[in-house]
Amino acid sequence: MAPLLCIEKLRVTFRTRYGEVTALDSISMHVNEGETLGVVGESGCGKSITALATMGLIPSPPGRIADGSIQLAGEELIGANSARLRKLRGGDIAMIFQEPMTSLNPVFTVGDQIAEAITLHQNVSADRAFTDAVALLDRVGIPSPDRRARDYPHQLSGGMRQRVMIAMAVSCRPKVLIADEPTTALDVTVQAQIFDLLNEIQRDFGAAIILITHDMGAISEMADRVAVMYAGRVIEEGSADSILDQPQHPYARGLIDCIPTLGRAERTLKEIPGVVPPLHLLGAGCAFAERCAFNDRARCTTEKPRLIDHGHHPAACHGVEESRL
Amino acid sequence: MSASYLMKRVGYGLLLMLGVVILNFLLIRLAPGDPAVVIAGEMGGATEEMLESIREEYGLNKPLLTQLWIYVSGVVRFDLGQSFFFNQPVTTLIAQRILPTILLVITAQILSILLGVFLGVIASRKPGGVVSAFVSVFATIGYAVPVFWTGIMLIILFASILPIFPVEGMLSVKLRDANIFVQALDVLHHLVLPAFTLAIIYLAQYARLGRASMLEVLGSDYIRTARAKGASERSVLFKHALRNAALPILTVAGLQFGNLISGALLVETVFNWPGMGRLAFDSILRRDYPTIMGVLFFASFMVVVANILTDMSYRWADPRLRGKS
Repeated sequence: MAPLLCIEKLRVTFRTRYGEVTALDSISMHVNEGETLGVVGESGCGKSITALATMGLIPSPPGRIADGSIQLAGEELIGANSARLRKLRGGDIAMIFQEPMTSLNPVFTVGDQIAEAITLHQNVSADRAFTDAVALLDRVGIPSPDRRARDYPHQLSGGMRQRVMIAMAVSCRPKVLIADEPTTALDVTVQAQIFDLLNEIQRDFGAAIILITHDMGAISEMADRVAVMYAGRVIEEGSADSILDQPQHPYARGLIDCIPTLGRAERTLKEIPGVVPPLHLLGAGCAFAERCAFNDRARCTTEKPRLIDHGHHPAACHGVEESRL
Repeated sequence: MSASYLMKRVGYGLLLMLGVVILNFLLIRLAPGDPAVVIAGEMGGATEEMLESIREEYGLNKPLLTQLWIYVSGVVRFDLGQSFFFNQPVTTLIAQRILPTILLVITAQILSILLGVFLGVIASRKPGGVVSAFVSVFATIGYAVPVFWTGIMLIILFASILPIFPVEGMLSVKLRDANIFVQALDVLHHLVLPAFTLAIIYLAQYARLGRASMLEVLGSDYIRTARAKGASERSVLFKHALRNAALPILTVAGLQFGNLISGALLVETVFNWPGMGRLAFDSILRRDYPTIMGVLFFASFMVVVANILTDMSYRWADPRLRGKS
């Protein structure tokens, strides 16, 4: 069966003062019906750009989809006309954003904002849409939804606002739900509730979820498959179990090593030294080479590694390829 | 928006008006010059006896505080005294002229806000585009050019070279006996040039402010959310963005109202518009204290009312302010 959403060799560039910078360098990933794909990586690795490209929301200019294909249930999205994209956005593909505090419009009630999403895609009256909005608020676990629907965003807590965002996103039963770091701005107990809610929603609505996060804990809890991104490329991809148990790429291993373990007496948390290099300074070699402990071969600085399956699952690393790690 | 808040604002407004009345009274008495001399001059000569009888008649020889008390207790009863020059109650003088001024000021205010905001929104669509450049240049010119000069230029262009609009006045003499509908149309015809003259300064400011404020709002997360749910570009601009971008414009519009009234004074003089501006001009030249104070009283009354209305509309537009005082 063909995947529900299939991204092939997607290249996105941005015009900056350093010239044209490649934010996404030929990335490919896919998600099947009812599946959760986790996309992990540090800030600036291209996770959110992938999401925005899928939504057709790359700010242009300065951004531009230079190459590649994004197909939803066989339909090509790149180059589709804007009316069609509007129909899909919020309808077949919906998105939950990182910042529930600022992602809701402060001057409209939350009920109206959800109802708007409904009337944009379904042929229902405004009253009916509002009733549906109240039902959705109830579904995402907001107490006294009747009253809350008439509240403005500033009257709700961060966790509640994210529930509202989720209600809005699932209001038209999307086939694909993109959650871009949905819990980053929330405190830990609320994070767990939101993940539970997303799991329930997926069960009820049967949506495929793309969960963008840098939280490996969230990945182990939610994801069926994982794509690890670094500096605009997918550097490792596989089932969640396989990646969590046997990470191949030194970067993926680093990420997993960074998960603090309960009960182990560690005084300092582990970290990956250095930062993601600025995209305009990327050379010909592996983007991770500078931070990598195993960069002792010349190829590492002269040749970009390709994503190749070396036994467990595909990874893009010369070291793994030469089986020396 | 609570009634108690409104009452509180009205209470403050009344106190402010009392302060304005007292201050106006004292300031004008501080100015050099003796009204008795002016009145006597109008009557054809000033002997010391005559001056004394004029002072006696108008109460100018009483102690300042007594004069103030008489004046303030009159104002409370809507009695603004008798004009020295026109020899009519000031209230009557103002009542004859207040409607033309209100008509001019309100028309100019609405015109400048609507057109200014519209231009600002259009300019914000393409910050580097032609409309945007036009708005910036137009705003600078509109703000820099003195209002009487604009008025004269408009008269030369649209009343002399292209005789589309009347040169001056508010109603054509030949229509004195026409029916009310024909008269209303004629007044509107006369209103176009003065209203535009007065509106241009503020229009330019609102356009620039609107552009800046829209650009800021368009970059915010909730606009991305609106796009992500599939809202059309028009809905994004005029529903989601404008309502938020309107907040600073409302504030400035309220604050500018006072300037608008003083601008109206000049415009009325240029176009011979039979409003309070002309009355103020005449009464200042003739040291007609009661009339000057009456005009100032009504001008400040309009500003206070405008400020209360601004505050109320601000609360209506921004739900975050409701329930706060």
